[in-house]
Amino acid sequence: MTNDLMLLLPLIIVGAGAILLMLASVYEKISHEMAAYGSAMIFAVAFLVQLSFCIIGNATLFSGVFNGILVVSNFSKAAGLIILACGFFTAMSSQTYFKQNTFCTPEYYCLAVFAASGMLLMTMAHELISVFIALEIMSLAIYILVGYDRRNIISTEAVLKYLMLGAFAGAFFTMGAAFIYGATASTKFVEIGQYIAKHGFLQTPALIGGSFFILVAFLFKAAAFPFHAWVVDVYDGASVPVTGYMATALKTAVFAVFANFLVIDGSLQAGWIKYLFYISVFTMFVGNIIAIGQQSLKRMLAASGIVHTGYLLIALVAVSSKEFTGSVIAFYLAAYAVGTLGVFTALSYLGGSEEKRNTFDDFKGLAKKRPYSAAAISIFLLSMAGIPPTAGFMGKLYIITSAINAGQVTLAVLGIISSIISMWYYLRLIINMYFYESEDQFNEYVPSAMAPVCTFILVICVFAISLYPVTI
Amino acid sequence: MFEHLLSVIIFLPILAGLLLLVTPASKTIARITGLTISIAALILSIDLYTGFSATGHLEFVEYLPWIPSLGIAYHLGIDGISLFILMAGSVLLPMVYLVFTTKEKGYYANLLLVQGAMAGAVCAADMILFYIFWEIMLLPVFFMLGLYGGPKRLPATLKITLYTIAGSLLMLTAIIYLGVSYHAQFNEWNFAISKMAQLNLTGRVAALAFFGFMIAFAIKIPLFPFHTWLPDAYTEAPTATTFVLSAIMAKIGVYGVIRFVVPVFDEQFARFAILLAYSGVIGMMYCGLAAIAQKDFKRMLAFSSASHMGIIALGVFCMNVQALTGSIYQIVAHATSTGVLFLFAGILEDRTNTRTIEDLGGIASKAPVFAMFFAIAMLASVGLPGTSGFIGEFMIILGAVKFNTTIGVLAGTTLIIGVCYMLWMFQRVFFEKTNSLSENFKDLSLIEGLTFLPVIILIIVMGIYPQPFLSKITPSTALLFAQSAPVVAQTVTTNALLPELTIEQK
Repeated sequence: MTNDLMLLLPLIIVGAGAILLMLASVYEKISHEMAAYGSAMIFAVAFLVQLSFCIIGNATLFSGVFNGILVVSNFSKAAGLIILACGFFTAMSSQTYFKQNTFCTPEYYCLAVFAASGMLLMTMAHELISVFIALEIMSLAIYILVGYDRRNIISTEAVLKYLMLGAFAGAFFTMGAAFIYGATASTKFVEIGQYIAKHGFLQTPALIGGSFFILVAFLFKAAAFPFHAWVVDVYDGASVPVTGYMATALKTAVFAVFANFLVIDGSLQAGWIKYLFYISVFTMFVGNIIAIGQQSLKRMLAASGIVHTGYLLIALVAVSSKEFTGSVIAFYLAAYAVGTLGVFTALSYLGGSEEKRNTFDDFKGLAKKRPYSAAAISIFLLSMAGIPPTAGFMGKLYIITSAINAGQVTLAVLGIISSIISMWYYLRLIINMYFYESEDQFNEYVPSAMAPVCTFILVICVFAISLYPVTI
Repeated sequence: MFEHLLSVIIFLPILAGLLLLVTPASKTIARITGLTISIAALILSIDLYTGFSATGHLEFVEYLPWIPSLGIAYHLGIDGISLFILMAGSVLLPMVYLVFTTKEKGYYANLLLVQGAMAGAVCAADMILFYIFWEIMLLPVFFMLGLYGGPKRLPATLKITLYTIAGSLLMLTAIIYLGVSYHAQFNEWNFAISKMAQLNLTGRVAALAFFGFMIAFAIKIPLFPFHTWLPDAYTEAPTATTFVLSAIMAKIGVYGVIRFVVPVFDEQFARFAILLAYSGVIGMMYCGLAAIAQKDFKRMLAFSSASHMGIIALGVFCMNVQALTGSIYQIVAHATSTGVLFLFAGILEDRTNTRTIEDLGGIASKAPVFAMFFAIAMLASVGLPGTSGFIGEFMIILGAVKFNTTIGVLAGTTLIIGVCYMLWMFQRVFFEKTNSLSENFKDLSLIEGLTFLPVIILIIVMGIYPQPFLSKITPSTALLFAQSAPVVAQTVTTNALLPELTIEQK
């Protein structure tokens, strides 16, 4: 019992912290700046607790208390670490962002913490109903965060789109869960896996249909083809820190549960893999085509997020259900999160008031005026593009290695071709920043040192993560 | 002198370059730092050269496991092939800081970065480590070209960057394919270059991996038909970048072929060698003819460099010890002669503000020392006996005739084209009448003269007494062929009978 609660401690800290923050803001006891520090503190404490569990390691898994619905593995711990770190950096960059933008209230931060608690639950959930609950805790908070700037018509449009489609995805998930329960008489991953191993995957239509619906829901949340269309508008409408949060932490949580569900049984995985192969290819190339044409940075980053989903799907295709460790997926998620979050953190203080700088052209000549920020953004972009010695390169190396090792040479080559194409839009921003004369002076005073400091820490992380060895 | 010599040669310039970039150092401090560090690297390389005992195997090995589960390691080492490319870089780069004294901080910092990365690529004994340095090499070139290049620099920058990255990412796939094949065949993860020669690679995927490597290196060299980025990039780049690209980076492409393709893909290499050799010869001819037509002397030198890279590559494709040894010798000879020629072109451009051959004339009478140095470098570049260029070209042609008479004859006759464009250009720029632009041309200053003198002497020494250099190269090249001896012997016999037909039948 104590051991179970210990393992759950990060989730408890985050959940309790979110409720405390909410109460404090309801009674108007704290300003939104204090809320920012408070939420950052919650994330930091939970991160350190999670980290200490990772270092101590070998904590016994959950006993029967949670009845097998939650499972802690190294993969879920790693995903939890990524999510908490993303939360921390989002809180800090929001603090700077809201010095230049005015629509903030303390509830913003408490929603971010709530979303994180949903995500943490999701990484551990091994049961369909808990996955659904976690998904909804996370999504509801994110819906509100996307539309937080109520006067802004674009963000209102974004939240409407996201809410409608997200509700559909949630409904699909519930229906899939119901079908699977009808077929296998259980919602636990382990028991579903045992049922499939015993009776085969293609025995009942309910099982096939149910898993199809669940696939749809996951693909929607992960922004994969053909459910990727919402991403660009929603990311564009949300404020910069929220976009960064969605692009990194949310994706980590979704891929964690996706991988956990996929590997419950070999035949389920084998049934899905040939579709995931095509989905992954289309996700990469459609994402690239969308990204190439964009003028707005946020939209380009949204589209590049789709491309990275494609790479992660390559890793999912290559996982084996025999000895699943998820280390490749976790590493790639960390590498991707550092790069993406870094760009968004830098944008949160460079964007100016009301996000007036948001296109490629607005950042022309940044390197002359703000050399360190431009260098940091370049490093993040090079990491996302997969140029060594950054974390993004190592992530890509592991993914391609595991794909070729699993016999998916075609997929590996297509992934490489896609990353050649993606060089264009990452380089384009670097070229704009370095090789043009500046029109804008970029001379406004940065109101807070938080976001620049976070950017600096993330730059170090880009290189530090790349040195961390991973077992495939 | 001390341990970890290779690591110091690699990381000293990289760290110094990064330090310059993050601190607000002035131009002068940047230049002095660059000069000091590159001379320090030169001294360390000379120490390395004297300590090198020419066993043919890797020497000065450093090994530190990095990703144990995949067998990836920080693994450095150097043999007779890599030693000379490393030396060429160390000897030539200090000159840049002495010749170009008024550039910006970023210019010098990027030069330091590229020097370290190139040394790393040459010393790496692990494929992943090689790839990492190979890619890092490109970044300083990207920034130098984009920031300090000529008026049409942006398209040139994009062209070289996208071209090179496309090639190297395909190579990454091929590298990983080799690692996975090694795991499949020997049940152990390893990415060490030396281990890959044991692999038994057959089938379509192996041929694709072969081309993955070959295309990446062909783009870097550049080999016909992947040379289209070269004229733009070489012309628009600032002189130091052109110098780095042509004198050293192109050679690392050839080095890659020798290190990866020849020992690992012996079967595929033997099968496609004739095709590659023809592409080398065609590149020689085409770029040579294009060089004759150029009006801009920097562009002419760019095509001339590409033409000479064709013959160096040809030496590798001939699959015998003479041609390969000649290639490595020619790598050093070409690095010194063409490198110096590009630096001279930079000086010409700085002092006359033009790159058009027609605008110049009569410089020899105004600047006799400059003209003499230029003439020596130029004659070495066209391969006059008594200069370094002759030895290498002679050995390559010898090997080429042994490999395939047609190719040998074609390559031998194509060398004449080089003489045509070089001498014609020399006549128009240095002789004839002076005009308004060349009237006030200043000769080399004492410092500049002393900077170039050692290299000019090296050109002549290498041409007259090549034995000390060859004795360090030969053990490694001989070992390279000893490893894959059975296959080579077999292919020599098949090549005697119309090899094109055997390719098509397969």
